[in-house]
Amino acid sequence: MNNKLKVLRAMRNWSQAELADRLDVSRQAVNAIETGKYDPSLPLAFKLARLFDMKIEEIFDDGTEGQGND
Amino acid sequence: MTDAGNTEKARRPMSPRRKRYWIALGLAGVLGGILGAWMQATQDDPSTIGLVLISNAPLTPTFAIGASVIWIVGMIVSLLLYHRAVDDHEERAYLWAGTAAWYTLTLSAPTWWVLARAGLAPPADAMLLFLGALVVNAVVWLWLKYR
Repeated sequence: MNNKLKVLRAMRNWSQAELADRLDVSRQAVNAIETGKYDPSLPLAFKLARLFDMKIEEIFDDGTEGQGND
Repeated sequence: MTDAGNTEKARRPMSPRRKRYWIALGLAGVLGGILGAWMQATQDDPSTIGLVLISNAPLTPTFAIGASVIWIVGMIVSLLLYHRAVDDHEERAYLWAGTAAWYTLTLSAPTWWVLARAGLAPPADAMLLFLGALVVNAVVWLWLKYR
């Protein structure tokens, strides 16, 4: 799943370690999400959304935007 | 901006989660060290230094009872601390590593057992099977956490 985490983090001039501290996860977790190797759980996605004051779908993109539900 | 953030990391206080995490790993490491050193100290043969963990040489009852208690209690306490401290990412690595280790065991143990019963292999060695599963567990965990 694609995401804008790296860009959002860079805009705030945070290191991966700083972001990890704010989310209370490991730096490896932030790196894995940024590089698309790991999709966060729903609680962690909500935590990210609240931290960046955005909606989850504004941070993450599953590649099906505009395809509808049926 | 550095991703490693070493200078900032040094100044940042450790979060309660990270503290619990390192206490759990530290406790497991210390208990493992104590058990290994104690086990080695019970051996009369100096040639087994470093090999005592994979040896089948007899052990003293005092050590066997003490090590069993330390292993069970220490592992339970360490694992409780560990599971309270891990984040989503590491939990996923842990679960997949455990699954891979279990598959290793389910594939190798019955295979070895039937081959041994047919006289085609030496008797199945429980500790060797355990060690094999442990190695697979460690490799998968490290790969998923640090790749």
